[in-house]
Amino acid sequence: MRNRRTATSARTGSLARASVTATLLLGLTACGGGGFSDGGDGDSGKGGDGGDRTVRVLVNITPNLTKTFWNDLVAPFEKAHPGVDVKIEAPTGKGVADTLQQQLAAGDAPDVVETLLPDKTLAPQMLDLTDEPWTKDTPLVEEASLDGRVYAVGVGEQAQSLVFYNKDAFRKAGIDELPETTDEFTAAMGKLKKAGYLPLQTAGDFTTGLQLLQLTDPSLAQRHPDWYQKVQAGDLTVGETMRPYLKQYKTWIDRGYIDKNALGLKYADGETSFLSGKSAMYVMGSWFTATEAAADDKDFEVGAFPAPVDKGQKAPGPQGATLAAPYMILKKSGSKDTARELVEWLVTDKKAVTAQLKQDGNFRSGVDRDLSPLERDVQKILDDAPARVAQGEGYGDDTLPKGFNTAWNTEVQGLYTGRSPDDVAKAVDRWVEAHR
Amino acid sequence: MSLDNLTKRAPATAPPKTPEPVAPAPRRVPRPGRTVRLVFLAIVATIMLVPLYVLVVNAFKSQSQILTDPFGLPTSGTLAPLRRALQGEEFDLVRGYAVTLLFVVCVNVLSIALAGPVAYVIARSPRRRFRALMLFFLAGTFIPSQVLVIPVVYVLKTVGLMGTVRGFVLFETVLTLPFSVFLYAGYITTVPRALDEAAALDGCGRNRTFWRIVFPLMRPVVATMVILNTFSVWNDFVNPQIILGPGSGLYTVTTGVYAAVSQYQTDYTVVFPTLLLAVAPLIVFFVFMQRHIISGLAAGATRG
Amino acid sequence: MNRSAAPPRRPAARTHRGAAPTRRARDRRAGLATTVMVLPATVLYTALLAVPVALACYLSLTDWDGFSAAPSFVGGANYRALANDPSLGRSLVVTLLLAAFGTVGLNVLGLGFALLLNGRSRVNTFFRMVLFYPHVLSALVVGFLWSAILGTTGAVNGLITSHGGDVLPFLADPDWALGTLVGVVVWAAFGVNVVLYLAGLQAVPRSLTEAARIDGASRWQVLRHVTLPALGPSVTVNIVLSLVTLLKTYDLVVSLTGGGPAGQTQTIAYLILWNSFHDGRLGLGSAQSVVLMAVTAALAVAVAQLRRRGESAVYS
Repeated sequence: MRNRRTATSARTGSLARASVTATLLLGLTACGGGGFSDGGDGDSGKGGDGGDRTVRVLVNITPNLTKTFWNDLVAPFEKAHPGVDVKIEAPTGKGVADTLQQQLAAGDAPDVVETLLPDKTLAPQMLDLTDEPWTKDTPLVEEASLDGRVYAVGVGEQAQSLVFYNKDAFRKAGIDELPETTDEFTAAMGKLKKAGYLPLQTAGDFTTGLQLLQLTDPSLAQRHPDWYQKVQAGDLTVGETMRPYLKQYKTWIDRGYIDKNALGLKYADGETSFLSGKSAMYVMGSWFTATEAAADDKDFEVGAFPAPVDKGQKAPGPQGATLAAPYMILKKSGSKDTARELVEWLVTDKKAVTAQLKQDGNFRSGVDRDLSPLERDVQKILDDAPARVAQGEGYGDDTLPKGFNTAWNTEVQGLYTGRSPDDVAKAVDRWVEAHR
Repeated sequence: MSLDNLTKRAPATAPPKTPEPVAPAPRRVPRPGRTVRLVFLAIVATIMLVPLYVLVVNAFKSQSQILTDPFGLPTSGTLAPLRRALQGEEFDLVRGYAVTLLFVVCVNVLSIALAGPVAYVIARSPRRRFRALMLFFLAGTFIPSQVLVIPVVYVLKTVGLMGTVRGFVLFETVLTLPFSVFLYAGYITTVPRALDEAAALDGCGRNRTFWRIVFPLMRPVVATMVILNTFSVWNDFVNPQIILGPGSGLYTVTTGVYAAVSQYQTDYTVVFPTLLLAVAPLIVFFVFMQRHIISGLAAGATRG
Repeated sequence: MNRSAAPPRRPAARTHRGAAPTRRARDRRAGLATTVMVLPATVLYTALLAVPVALACYLSLTDWDGFSAAPSFVGGANYRALANDPSLGRSLVVTLLLAAFGTVGLNVLGLGFALLLNGRSRVNTFFRMVLFYPHVLSALVVGFLWSAILGTTGAVNGLITSHGGDVLPFLADPDWALGTLVGVVVWAAFGVNVVLYLAGLQAVPRSLTEAARIDGASRWQVLRHVTLPALGPSVTVNIVLSLVTLLKTYDLVVSLTGGGPAGQTQTIAYLILWNSFHDGRLGLGSAQSVVLMAVTAALAVAVAQLRRRGESAVYS
């Protein structure tokens, strides 16, 4: 008698436990409801049933390109396409690259991604746009294509190899001619230092390595016209070809032309410092013109000239150039048609293009917009450049292993910590060799 | 007599009562020594608190005043930066709090529900199988969670839980299991077996015995674990960042702070107010609960 | 109660209880209950902790990019890459320096302040709280805060430059930056060690120290020869805990230094997550993870061994 009662009560007991556990797990699911409903399995279902109404766009967010800017940008498109909702998404990680990667891992990729260029891992995930007629006239479309296939289309070009300078400082230092060769550039720095300026503004973060790449593009491209191919084939090494520039840079540090504590500055600190008039020159891409335009409290004029070349080379040299605001459409997108329309509109509609060019200081031949004096300088530099070349990790068929820019930046910063240019060059080569 | 011998002999000599007035309190801490101690502690406390002070005063200043006078009190205090941080376009702080709190609750409940019963079985079974299970769990305390992120992404992706709240909460819970099981099992061995046996005689099943009889006695150790888990979930950055990721559209306080601050680290009118808002409620909570938090932590450690 | 839990002296009570079939049924039920209690936690733990550890080893032999379904096997390529990659060696050194100096700092300060704050009084409670509070803040917030204070344009340098001084390179010079990182880690965490050592001190029998005093030992001698040896287990726990925590420092690096300057504050954990999620090379990241696991295990075992030998030396 007693035993039987025990048996039932024990069974109901454990049943009760089991159901409590089950409820708990269910409750947990409910916890997740809010965020999950439009997450996890987003890419599988929406495509087929004509639910072409929401286009998710993952964009880069910077001080120039705010979320508000992006939302305003696509508003006319939404208006022209009733029922279409363009959802702007900001990166949650360090940037667009790692965010997209996490989204792909979660099976939750957006429909369109801005900023990235195709490489061997990304290309298979992206829609092939080679046969779309409207891509033909977009800037740098061939340079950025991979094995002849077009995956990314951009709005404009970013000039990379620019030296921005403080016109007051140049006047005070008695520099009448803008430097064309590296020797003249170095001499100018000497004069600027004497005049009481910090000759060249740099910063830590990613800025250090980027600036040196930007600075070397025009002369490197003339010394080794097929640099990427030869490096890929093993005929040249990065470190070996970069060593002269590293040595040059090191002498600048030693002479105090560059602040030896610059590594403590963030990217934005560098901009601020140059715009406050403390330093005379700042090497940066054309997007800096937008920052300059926004700084209305400075009391001097900023000009720009192309990065110098070696003695005896043609000046100006080829300009480092990258695709501004490149867009790719994901192959798995459930809203391919709307996404395609949106991207076409973003890179061809005059108003949309102009707005994007202006916001981030980019350029596109054939598109007239109100240019500031500084922007006119940059446009002229672009027009005068004999060629456009890739830089660092590169794009299209001109690429180095992924992660090169970070590794390069780290090693170049080593010059500030007392490492010799030879050591830095060797470390760069070791890195490239290890990750080939 | 060597002092090493003293160590061993000491317990034997202890029981005979020592004469009372040998070590009166005033002599043990002589006056000047005490002042020195207090002054020293006050200096250390200042060093500890300066960052908090900088955080608070600068949350109410303009960028230029922060740059020129970082340690001064705000001259023309402004609430604008604080208000902007509260309604930030990158990240909604209030929602971040709600989301994080929800995660904390889910993980804690689930952790107790899972770790409690296992610990009970382990503590009550002399079998080798369960001894091994204990070691299996214990090994987990030594695995750095960053090492796990990549393969866990793989596992969660395979079962379709990557980028979901469920996947995230389950993983966070699993991270709490090793230490929970260890701590609970240790505690349960101090609960007299007679209690379970009495319950068994009354016809209680094993599971029921645990929840009805033993679990209520575990309150202190469960409290310790809840405190530890709450902090680890609340402050976690990598896992919400990567496992929860962008797909869920959810920010915890930590990932939200990252989203709001990392791009604007040089704009101190963003940095200070956002950090202040992220930190203030936690510090208030800590001040009120400090005795429980500190003693709970200590209890966990001495057992561990 | 089921058999497995019953202590050995119980069989007598059980035999006279009932017939064999009932017992078997009861055992089966108890077995089922045990399974229900053990299984969920064990399965989840296995799936999300044990399996991943093994998976990390497997993935380290592949070129997984994080999203493709079938990573291809590349053998030891990732390990070969690591052996040649200058960044791994550098970050190993950084991580070990951080762990070593951090552990020393945490434990010296932890023990020192525990001895200073031992005993119940309101003053002690207050100071304990002040030393402990940074622990409740997330490391990410702590890093952002200190970077705003010690950065080149930060509060301290703002004060120095406005008085005409030169900027101090807290985060700009590699050696300083590593020092700053260690300092901030210690600032943020030594309060925990204070609390842990205080708990250890509570466990030292007062009779022991008092007896030593009566025997004429000075305060220093009591500390050196009675209190510290009795704290042995506490020291081991603290050191192992500090080491394991410091070896995985990541959040603070992200927010305080971003791994710079010149990569001299890149910990392995930082390198793992950067390579994996920034460059999309999760296979390589897995190989680094395996290295970190090996280092952690080796250090933990070494410390435990050393302490054990140390303790037995004291008591022999």
